[in-house]
Amino acid sequence: MKSASDVPIIQTFGLSKRYRQTTAVDEISLRVEPGQVFGFLGPNGAGKTTTIGLLLGIINPSGGRFRLFGGESAAELHAARRRIGATLEYPNFYPYLSGRDNLRIVADVKGLDSKEIDRVLDLVGLGRRAKQKFKAYSLGMKQRLALGATMLGDPELIILDEPANGLDPEGMREIREIIRGLGERGKTIFLSSHLLSEVERTCTHVAIIQHGRIVRQDSVADVTSHGVAGLRSADLAALETAVAEYPAAQWVKRRGDRVVAELDDGDLAALNEWLVGRGIHVSHLVFEARSLEDVFMEATGVADIGEPTDGSSGRDERRMGEVP
Amino acid sequence: MIAGAFRAEMWKMWKRPATWVTLGLFGLITFADLFDEFRDARKDPEDPFFLPDAWGQILGQEVLIGFIFASVLLILLVASEFSWRTARQNVIDGLSKTQWYSAKVLLLPFLVALFLALRVVVGGSFALAGTDLSAGVTLFGAAQLSALGGMFLTGVGYAGLALFAAIAIRSSGPAMAVWFAWFAFGERLLVGGLGSLFEGLRPVLRWAPITTFNRLRDYIQYDSAAFRRAAEWAAEHERPGPELEALGPAIAGSLLWIAALTLVGWLWYRKRDL
Ligand SMILES: Nc1ncnc2c1ncn2[C@@H]1O[C@H](COP(=O)(O)OP(=O)(O)O)[C@@H](O)[C@H]1O
Ligand SMILES: [Mg+2]
Repeated sequence: MKSASDVPIIQTFGLSKRYRQTTAVDEISLRVEPGQVFGFLGPNGAGKTTTIGLLLGIINPSGGRFRLFGGESAAELHAARRRIGATLEYPNFYPYLSGRDNLRIVADVKGLDSKEIDRVLDLVGLGRRAKQKFKAYSLGMKQRLALGATMLGDPELIILDEPANGLDPEGMREIREIIRGLGERGKTIFLSSHLLSEVERTCTHVAIIQHGRIVRQDSVADVTSHGVAGLRSADLAALETAVAEYPAAQWVKRRGDRVVAELDDGDLAALNEWLVGRGIHVSHLVFEARSLEDVFMEATGVADIGEPTDGSSGRDERRMGEVP
Repeated sequence: MIAGAFRAEMWKMWKRPATWVTLGLFGLITFADLFDEFRDARKDPEDPFFLPDAWGQILGQEVLIGFIFASVLLILLVASEFSWRTARQNVIDGLSKTQWYSAKVLLLPFLVALFLALRVVVGGSFALAGTDLSAGVTLFGAAQLSALGGMFLTGVGYAGLALFAAIAIRSSGPAMAVWFAWFAFGERLLVGGLGSLFEGLRPVLRWAPITTFNRLRDYIQYDSAAFRRAAEWAAEHERPGPELEALGPAIAGSLLWIAALTLVGWLWYRKRDL
């Protein structure tokens, strides 16, 4: 017999959602185990929100099925949802109520008392703004309130749909810290994002979704364990062309001021020798940890997974994995 | 849990400015209207304003204004939950769709009763001030109670259509527009048009929703003394006299409409994604 802790928290089997024009979610099968911080990574429009909506019971599936905490009957799912704190797409609150009163509404549904509301408000740093009306909050404050609402009652599973949206780098860092803290306490977290860096820094596991299909699902460590070669030389264009012709290179691309390539054999010396043979001298040649962006490219053949919207973290993003 | 959901509904309602605006406006209209009656009665002993006769004025056509406010408020309360996506979030937070919808349905009779009560309390107070209590007449009797019951059903009917519009359209402005258009002229145009095209349809068209609800709204249907006074007045002025409705079928028809609207609203709400 399986013990309770062996039961996957989330399990989907060929789950699909078709709209008239699009198939938003196309037969996806996910498996999230207890204690995982699971990143659901994909560009805008990939089907992340729709998938979460299906799991939360507010979107009716067109096909497939899913289990939460091992249960899949209507009653089991209803019971399971009481063990989940979740946001979907936007912070959804009553604009004319204060932050505190909005949490009161959530706490009421979950049968919690006001001490819990205070705890959560402090946790997300809204303690002093709690009496202000939600409509007067900045987007960052709205996001924090939404994150706070998911933590009411300390649920076993927390589902966050793009929690970093609209936050400045400082805010993103704070949210990351909170999520890490939850993960360390053994909570299961399912987090969707179009930002590689966010998933890379907070998650233990990842599923990459594109056009409604899961293209890869693994632990972040596994996915990024293979190395890629990072090279620099005076003429980057010539370098890129040359590496592209190298037989063991799976793919090559320009990233910032260097060229990055995945090698079948992982043999840097052989690559260097081959390049020298073609008259190209590299000033920089190292093994870098493969970033999720590389994984994404390998899986989909598309380099771009959506750039972060604010410039500051964008620079940060593109430099992920670079060895100085 | 449905009780809990309804309690949350009340709380959200009290905090909502629209609640106080609509209640305040209707209170003001009622005050102005009945204060006039009260003052005229002071000046002119021929035109008295005292209980129980004053119920005819208190529970007159102006009550419909209260029902319109109740319906508008209901649309605001329900439809905005879709625009703010709190209808979504409530379910995400653990409310079942059944609980969510039930709480809104419970709000329906509550709001109608609230506006009706406002009228009764404000109007009743004025009339009471002009009543000679030593005469020992019944101030509020069976006639008034059944009148309140009938008008309440009319109000729940109007607001039932409003709830249906809010659930189906999910946006306050358009829902109000559609509801008001149907209420003010849509049904009459449709019934009139169809009735003149197909004479055989007329008995059925008599049971269109607003037409059915309206059969219950006239105070004189319930108060035989008031009915007699109206008949005498009509005879004196050589006008057509009032007619008594068959209240039983009108009550049954209204209840059926209210049940059908809430049920279809429920099926529609449940079938669609939030
Ligand atoms: N209600 C809807 N009707 C029609 N198409 C929709 C609807 N919701 C989402 N879609 C489409 O489904 C796809 C996935 O959307 P979504 O799940 O929001 O993506 P993501 O959250 O990954 O950005 C998109 O192409 C989107 O346009
Ligand atoms: Mg989304």
